Amino acid sequence: MSQTILLPERPPGAVALLLNGIFGENPVFRLALSLCPAVAVTTTVANGIMLGVAVLLVQVLSSVTVALVRRGIHPRVRIPAYTIIIAVWVSAIDMTLAGYFPVLYAQVGLYVKLIVAFAIIISRLEVFASRMPLIPTFWDGLGMGLGFLFALVVIGAFRELLGSGAILGHVVTPEKPLLFFALPAGGFFTIGILMAFFNALERWKRGGKAPTAAGGGAHG
Amino acid sequence: MSAPAAGSGGAPGRAAAGPPTWAPGETWRIVLSMTLICAAGAAILGGVYLGTERYAEASRQRNERAAVTELLSLGSDATVKEIRQFLSPARDAVIYRTGEAGADAGGNGTAEGAARAPREFVFALDGTLLRSGEIASANAGEKGLHPLGRIFVASRDGAPAGFVVEGEARGYKNRIRFFVALDREWRIAGVRVVEHEEDPGLGAEVATDWFQGQYVGRDLDGAANLDVTKDPMPEDWRDALRRRGTADDPAWTERYGPLRSRESDRPIYAVTGATISSRALTDGVRATILHFRRRWELLEPYLRAAGEGA
Repeated sequence: MSQTILLPERPPGAVALLLNGIFGENPVFRLALSLCPAVAVTTTVANGIMLGVAVLLVQVLSSVTVALVRRGIHPRVRIPAYTIIIAVWVSAIDMTLAGYFPVLYAQVGLYVKLIVAFAIIISRLEVFASRMPLIPTFWDGLGMGLGFLFALVVIGAFRELLGSGAILGHVVTPEKPLLFFALPAGGFFTIGILMAFFNALERWKRGGKAPTAAGGGAHG
Repeated sequence: MSAPAAGSGGAPGRAAAGPPTWAPGETWRIVLSMTLICAAGAAILGGVYLGTERYAEASRQRNERAAVTELLSLGSDATVKEIRQFLSPARDAVIYRTGEAGADAGGNGTAEGAARAPREFVFALDGTLLRSGEIASANAGEKGLHPLGRIFVASRDGAPAGFVVEGEARGYKNRIRFFVALDREWRIAGVRVVEHEEDPGLGAEVATDWFQGQYVGRDLDGAANLDVTKDPMPEDWRDALRRRGTADDPAWTERYGPLRSRESDRPIYAVTGATISSRALTDGVRATILHFRRRWELLEPYLRAAGEGA
């Protein structure tokens, strides 16, 4: 049941896993997972950073937990078990933020609770953490979390610059160049443009061959 | 299922082909696996809750205290005393308790209040004092009591500086919890919604500074007759309220004072599309002020006699 199907018997090294999460299988640009929050939250860089860091923490903690207890999880009920594990860590982070960082929590509290339903986290648990030992799982979780953070920051910077004419709240241009990009529809356009850019990058790296793992359809 | 009855179908458990069969042992393993995961998760969450609740509560109290001093435009040198009101379990008496609920977590200027032993005053519904005296702890025996909100009594340099009264109203979706601040002449110094679940863009507008700014400056008579109108808000008044910020500062008052006095006899203008939320908050503010006035007339002499007066 827990035989590896998609992945090689010997897991890749730490650097390869990190780069894979940030570029090769970037959750937003390459796997097209968790697009809803990526559109909803990223009107500014600051929002992107906050949600990205929260997702990074939840991804690493959940992946490591699943890797540790995977033999105790019955295969028939693994998805409910993963959901509980994710929910536990999200609630723990939610309470910690509310207790220690009340100012930050007032801004991101609403989004943190939504992380439970992020497709990227549960998909990494199912694809990677449930089949691999602890150490590679940690690097995979870290890479995916960093990839998501990276994507949110890039989208946020793109939209904040074009939509509000600012970066991290500092006004760059006196006028708002294209207000459209601050609106939800502009978010989808931004992701589309950046996804095309990353596909082109991948194609160029492979010497002109079409990338294989491009946009697996929009989930969650 | 069929496992104990038959035993003829070969070995129980995983069949090589066909639909999967459920061996009784497997069911129990699933139950055990999920139970263990849930128990471990609950234990972790319980631990995190115990570790963080103190800080979350402290930050809630800091926010409330900041809201109190801000609503009354007081500096950090003001003393704020908290009085908590309860209805007895049998709903036949009103209980007032002084002293900090979590004295160790207090913020600015609470040392004075914390040094004194908490007291309790119990009144029958007709206003006669049933008993009064010191209690062991401000949190003692709150079980079964129905909270009626709190009163914050502010004073500066020994002189009374106003009250902030906590109130509740039934909003469109859930309760709206708010603070009403009254200055020493019992005029409304400010209204602030501190907790609500109204719809964003509609009912949630009642929690904005411009809507809450409409209540400011009304005296006790005006508060007793507070009403809501669906008439459109005059443009000049809307403009003035939007420029106001969180409180009336001197520059604002100088420029818009005449508008404020023109509007203070008129009803509150409802948020367009959210008349229910607007009315809920307005009715709540009116009821809270009227209740508080009655209770304070009753309680104040006893507080003063006990040395707790503002």
